[in-house]
Amino acid sequence: MATPSVSTTLHYNDVPQADALAADYVYCVVEDSRSASLGPVGIEGREVYVVAHRGLGALVHASPPLAYQATDREIAGAWVLAHHQVVDSAWRRWGTVLPLTFNTIVLPGATGADQSVTAWLDREHEHLQGKLQALAGKAEYGVQVSCDSSHLVEQALAANPDIGKLQEQANSPSRGLAYMYRQQLETVLKRAVEGQALRESAQLYGKLRACADDTRLEKTKAAGDGQTMLLNLSCLVSPERLAGLEMAVQGLRGMAGLSVRMVGPFPPYSFC
Amino acid sequence: MSSATQPQATLVDLLDRVLDRGLVLEADIVICLAGVPLIGINLRAALAGMETMVQYGMMQDWDQAIRHRGGWSVKPTGVAECSSTVPAGVRHD
Repeated sequence: MATPSVSTTLHYNDVPQADALAADYVYCVVEDSRSASLGPVGIEGREVYVVAHRGLGALVHASPPLAYQATDREIAGAWVLAHHQVVDSAWRRWGTVLPLTFNTIVLPGATGADQSVTAWLDREHEHLQGKLQALAGKAEYGVQVSCDSSHLVEQALAANPDIGKLQEQANSPSRGLAYMYRQQLETVLKRAVEGQALRESAQLYGKLRACADDTRLEKTKAAGDGQTMLLNLSCLVSPERLAGLEMAVQGLRGMAGLSVRMVGPFPPYSFC
Repeated sequence: MSSATQPQATLVDLLDRVLDRGLVLEADIVICLAGVPLIGINLRAALAGMETMVQYGMMQDWDQAIRHRGGWSVKPTGVAECSSTVPAGVRHD
């Protein structure tokens, strides 16, 4: 977020412990001018309500002034899921939403956490409103493209004829020479395959980017057996462009060696 | 939903978004940000390996099932019990 940050170091000893629910856990920001309760739909069934100020509303629950931390996967998973469900249902209800990252907890100032949230909405009013307008009506989709690693090697070999020669040399009857060439081959082939993956992902990125209002390149992940992920893209898409993106995805699915995963719609988590 | 979009999102898809992205509130009134690695890593460690493909609807069922499991609602928050693992100071820049 392109706002000036206030750099501080907070110690947990400084956190007021007197009121167990003195802080506000913030889920997201919507456009609304009415403060209202949404019921016990928050993390661990906490009551979520809207803190409204100047046409903006922050969805919060009254929370202990401590971070959510857990080592139990079911508890941690349920928290993340509950956070998402609040953001997701707000997104469906209000049409546009600015999700906050998990574990955003606002401490009570002298006048309480709701007042701290209000002060933040006031200070960031133009910035938040601008973001909401830019995201209005749009949804996020994740598109992950992987290919057979063998396909990548074949393409790399086709693009680098010199490697074929090196392969022949690696079969040299002299064991010493063969070893040397094999080492060399390994390095050259690795570089060629990486280069091929980069070229293919740049092509894919170009095709998909043209179909979205905005995109974020995410880190690629380990793919399945014998697969290499070429592209992990978050796409922000307005309703009228969705069909175009889906068509592009279907087009990629028709290409040899490629597998494409498209998930969504999500609230625009990656475009805040 | 057209055939291009698979309706199922994995928990990993959600973790990537809920823990690593979203608006970061930068102010001195915030005690915790996902930008503080410890928090994200802590939850990620707990959730490592959960890659089961689940549909939104199924995840809701799962959430409900967990919520209704014994002890869930009577625990204050699950936060207080973990407070001993919270670092002495949380820095955010």
